[in-house]
Amino acid sequence: MTEEEHPPQADEERHEFSADADSLWRLTLAPATWALHFVLCYATISLACARGLFPVGAARFWLLGLTVLALLVIGRQGYKALKQWNVLDTGALSHPDGRAEDRHRFLGHAALLIAVISTIGTVFTSFPLLLLEGCR
Amino acid sequence: MIFRRPAPPVRPEPDGPYPPTDEMLSTPVPKDEQAAQTKRLRAVWDPPTGWRYWSAVNNTEVGKWYSLTAFFFMLCAGLLALLIRLQLAVPENELLPADRFNQLFTMHGSAMMFLFAVPMFEAVSILLLPGLLGARDMPFPRLSAFGYWCFLIGGVFVLGSILFDAAPRAGWFMYPPLATEDEGPGSDIWLLGLSFIEVASIAAAVELIVGALKCRPPGMRVNLMPLYSWYVLVVGGMILFAFPPLIAGDFLFELERSFDWPFFDPTRGGDPMLWQHLFWIFGHPEVYIIFLPSIAIVAMIIPTVARRPIIGYSWIVLSAVGTGFLSFGLWVHHMYTTGLPGLSLGFFSAASEAVVIPTGVQLFAFLATLIAGRIRMILPMLWIAGALAIFTMGGLTGIMLALAPFDFQVHDTYFVVAHLHYTLFGGMVFPVIAGIYYFYPFITKKQLSVRLGRWAFWLIFTGFNITFLPMHLTGLLGMPRRVFTYPEGLGWEAPNLISTCGAFVVAAGFAVFVWDLIRPKASQPQIERNPWKAGTLEWTHDVPEEAWGMRSIPHITSRYPLWDDPKLLERVDSGRFYLPDAPEGRRETLVTSVIDAEPIMVQRVNTPTWLTHLAAAFTGGAFIFPTFHLYIPAIISGTLAVATILYWLWSSTARPPEADTKDAGLGLRLPTYVSGPDSTGWSAMWITMLGDATAFASLVFGFFFYWTSQPDFPPSGAEHAALGFVALAALGFMVSWALTLAARGLNRRGQESAARGALICGPIATAGGLVALVYAVLPLGPTTHVYPALLWAFAIWISAHGAVGLIMQLYCLAGSLFGKLTPRYDADLWNVSLFWHFFLISALVACALLGPVARVL
Amino acid sequence: MSPGGADADALKLLFVVMLAGAGILWLIVNGLFYWFSRRRPAAFSERSARKVVVFGGVIAPTLLVGGALVWGLSLLPDQRAPGDGLRIAVTGEQWWWRVEYWPKGAKEPIVSANEIRLPADRRTEFVLTSDRVIHSFWIPALGGKMDMFPGRETRMSLEPHTPGTYRGQCAEFCGASHAWMAFEAVVMPPQDFDDWLAAEQEGAAPPQSAAARRGLGVFEREGCGACHTIRGTEAIGLVGPDLTHVGSRQSIGAGRLGRSLDDMVRWITHTDELKPDVRMPAFPQLGDTEQRDLAHYLKELK
Repeated sequence: MTEEEHPPQADEERHEFSADADSLWRLTLAPATWALHFVLCYATISLACARGLFPVGAARFWLLGLTVLALLVIGRQGYKALKQWNVLDTGALSHPDGRAEDRHRFLGHAALLIAVISTIGTVFTSFPLLLLEGCR
Repeated sequence: MIFRRPAPPVRPEPDGPYPPTDEMLSTPVPKDEQAAQTKRLRAVWDPPTGWRYWSAVNNTEVGKWYSLTAFFFMLCAGLLALLIRLQLAVPENELLPADRFNQLFTMHGSAMMFLFAVPMFEAVSILLLPGLLGARDMPFPRLSAFGYWCFLIGGVFVLGSILFDAAPRAGWFMYPPLATEDEGPGSDIWLLGLSFIEVASIAAAVELIVGALKCRPPGMRVNLMPLYSWYVLVVGGMILFAFPPLIAGDFLFELERSFDWPFFDPTRGGDPMLWQHLFWIFGHPEVYIIFLPSIAIVAMIIPTVARRPIIGYSWIVLSAVGTGFLSFGLWVHHMYTTGLPGLSLGFFSAASEAVVIPTGVQLFAFLATLIAGRIRMILPMLWIAGALAIFTMGGLTGIMLALAPFDFQVHDTYFVVAHLHYTLFGGMVFPVIAGIYYFYPFITKKQLSVRLGRWAFWLIFTGFNITFLPMHLTGLLGMPRRVFTYPEGLGWEAPNLISTCGAFVVAAGFAVFVWDLIRPKASQPQIERNPWKAGTLEWTHDVPEEAWGMRSIPHITSRYPLWDDPKLLERVDSGRFYLPDAPEGRRETLVTSVIDAEPIMVQRVNTPTWLTHLAAAFTGGAFIFPTFHLYIPAIISGTLAVATILYWLWSSTARPPEADTKDAGLGLRLPTYVSGPDSTGWSAMWITMLGDATAFASLVFGFFFYWTSQPDFPPSGAEHAALGFVALAALGFMVSWALTLAARGLNRRGQESAARGALICGPIATAGGLVALVYAVLPLGPTTHVYPALLWAFAIWISAHGAVGLIMQLYCLAGSLFGKLTPRYDADLWNVSLFWHFFLISALVACALLGPVARVL
Repeated sequence: MSPGGADADALKLLFVVMLAGAGILWLIVNGLFYWFSRRRPAAFSERSARKVVVFGGVIAPTLLVGGALVWGLSLLPDQRAPGDGLRIAVTGEQWWWRVEYWPKGAKEPIVSANEIRLPADRRTEFVLTSDRVIHSFWIPALGGKMDMFPGRETRMSLEPHTPGTYRGQCAEFCGASHAWMAFEAVVMPPQDFDDWLAAEQEGAAPPQSAAARRGLGVFEREGCGACHTIRGTEAIGLVGPDLTHVGSRQSIGAGRLGRSLDDMVRWITHTDELKPDVRMPAFPQLGDTEQRDLAHYLKELK
């Protein structure tokens, strides 16, 4: 809908693009997923190699499964962020204005980009799982 | 009914039109009223004069002292570097003895990192942030001042030790067992002196985060924040997660140094690797803690130079947040050669490479802004060009070093020395100097000399490359770092001699720069108001200088208000925006909401005081006396510090105001007192406790680290902590937590006597818990093995926090008895219950580890 | 930078390729910057400037860095491959190296110090540890380094191919004389190495010359045997380096001095000056002849 048809009203703006304090935290969800994946990889390999709790081969297998899971979670965040950004409808690549809608789209855009970086980070983390065997 | 429950007090909400309309903003303010307002504001905000000047707490003054002190420490550390280079100029040089040389490089690294790089970020941010955000001051000015005086005392103590030949000498990362076994006070000076400064750093980080989140001008939603404050937010968050592991490490390390508890001693079950992990979990994010704020300065200068808004604002925000996260996945790349499994190295190699991407995004966003803009070359831009040339070089060698096999070859050699200086000069020193040239007019209302600036640039730039470019070669030729001399005939002579010559060229450049900074400029006319034609709020500053920060706090609707709103300056000056007056004679600033910056309240900020100096001196004593094993004076000093801080809090924080609301201007009435999540104090407590929880988590990590790395942990047949006492302790803390929450609820409902009762029983339960906890570990011998030592460490950590919790409960009790804490004005109790939430979680985790978990593992 | 082993070769290739890549990237980034800030061509549109960010900031680095990562990871297993049979256990001491050769199937090690000999074209495994503080074992020309921890064993392996003498050095700061903790690594053709190892296993030859015989007397009188071992004599101390074949080593004092008689004399009489805080006391009280006799004796321990 365009503004001419339906000028935004303060109340509606408040509702549709409402600012919940969570939206800053939501920026950190994708990288937090990367971090959790990373820590689990590191901890599992340490437990397998230093403590010998389970064989390293099995650990690699399960961790690759975990990588797929992490990528799905990040992908979901990215998709939600893409919808929030709403670039396909608005065509606006940047959000330098002072309306609630700008802030809303901006947070979507930033969250999307962070999801991209988190994806790259997670994929990189999976390289050693694919390329290296054993504990040496 | 006889006991009628009093109605809960009414909590006022913001009331009045918001956002302001253009019509409201166009209403003129009469000239004589303007003059009266100006006079009152000036009376309230002017810093004291004469010798009382040093009791000032204005962010402009504290920020100035802070940055000058950090800069001075940098020059000292630079002098140490010159001595190092002199010694290494020729092979088998006998200029300096080995021991002195080892002190020099240890202090050079430690001072540059802890006394310059991190404090400089804090100093610059304290100086600039309120200006960028159109705030009057930081939310807790006395905290900034306290942080500064701590930094000064700690810095002089640590750096001064080199004059007495007693400086630490085990390298700036203090690897045990070398550092634990070192005789003399050197290691203790490092541990205690720098811990003291780290605590001050965390205090500053808390304040900066709260400042960036809650002290923005109305209307400045998160998508309009100056990029600098995004960086402040990210870097503040990183400090909260990076410094606490080091503090936890320092805690264990000092327990080993003072009481021989064998945390890092392999003969008694300890493991020196734990320190390396804790140190680098701090150490690598630290590099980005240094780098990001400097990039933030560049992000402020680039749009001014390109005369257009930044391109890729969201991209830069993404880079800052992304770098902040990824930088915590790099720490093991300082430990590639410690024999960890190849797979583990692989993960860290991957993260080290991934962090290149957000870093690259920032550089390319700057580049894109420049190519899409109309560039106007100004002197700061020259320094940024130099920074780019140097930093990209350091970044590219960083990509090489991140590959574990290549690092095996050049780790701990001069190649790494070259790499780290390229990243730090390019990523920190050059951008900061660019920032000094750029913001100098903002700070002093004078200009630095362009001619001298060019001289300084070319001297430092060429000198830097002459010094450090050959070091890549020296390292590839096999020269390890930290050698006090080297034999002839290995081909190291020429590059070392060249490096030494270069170092003196750098020194000459700094001499020119320092001269430019300090030369008298009284005859120079004051600058025009916005000399670079920038678009951000700080350039609304008053010339000649006024201490009030902003004449009135504007409503913001764009990223570059000075470019987009031609009427802004005139309206700010004539006091048409918020808080144009100080009728009550109090210092005030606006607190706004986190996401959309809607006005929440008028925050009263504090005035000049000597309490901060006293508190800093006593806190310093508590850290410095143990260096010389003077534990009694340390305890006395610590007690005095606590007493001083309590008096400071009592006398000047969360005092009931004279009226519930006040007119903030433009018809908006705002509360003057807010408790709970909307208040700045509550946010500060939350953030502090997040850092504290990280330190505690590091201890827990230590527990599981020993369990993973040692075949026998806990040792079979070892004596455990007494289960009954552990359970009793947990019970005591739970009861006390419940009582604290009950007191908050009761007080809010007006049942003050019942609340007081809860606040009397609470401390008793806390004390019971503490005694039980001590009894649980008392029979264990902490010097015999790392396991009992770690249990003791947990007990000490929890006891110390429990004692703080107990003092807080008593503080609230006293507040309630003496009318500082009432059903309406209950911020203290909110903050204390928040502390107790965190404390209860850590206490229960510790009790679980001490009791059941240790028995099951 | 002149590699003498397979591991160092691989690293050199990696380095050269990355150096070239880094050089090109550096020129591109800084060239662009210079071009736009100095030459000031017409401003780009915002849309094309955004493309610079996407391509230069994300796509290009992801591909380049990802490629480098895969290459680096693929090199990692070789650097840590198990050895072909010979194991050498090295203990870092302050500030010298205790060396034990464990040929395949050996029950007892062959003990030496401050010099490491390796067979060419074989992969030799190193088992590393330390007595008190952390050291790091490194022969730059042959490959990477590995830290040595007290109370913990770390492993690495090397496959040198070019016979010759290379310098090794402690790479982790380990106290006052870190700078003087070096050693010689001698790579020999496999046959020569086996012969050398057999000779190294033997005890010390009794002194031949008169000076050396007098030197043995000085050695015994001054109590050197309390710290040093010379197999086949009464000297069985374990505090300092094994001296059974010290005369055949390429350097003395853990790479501190050359192998001449004068060097030996200087070492005995000026130990602390040559190596600050070293645990061995200097023996300046010995007369000129006694110093030389002792040196003769040690030089004859081939």
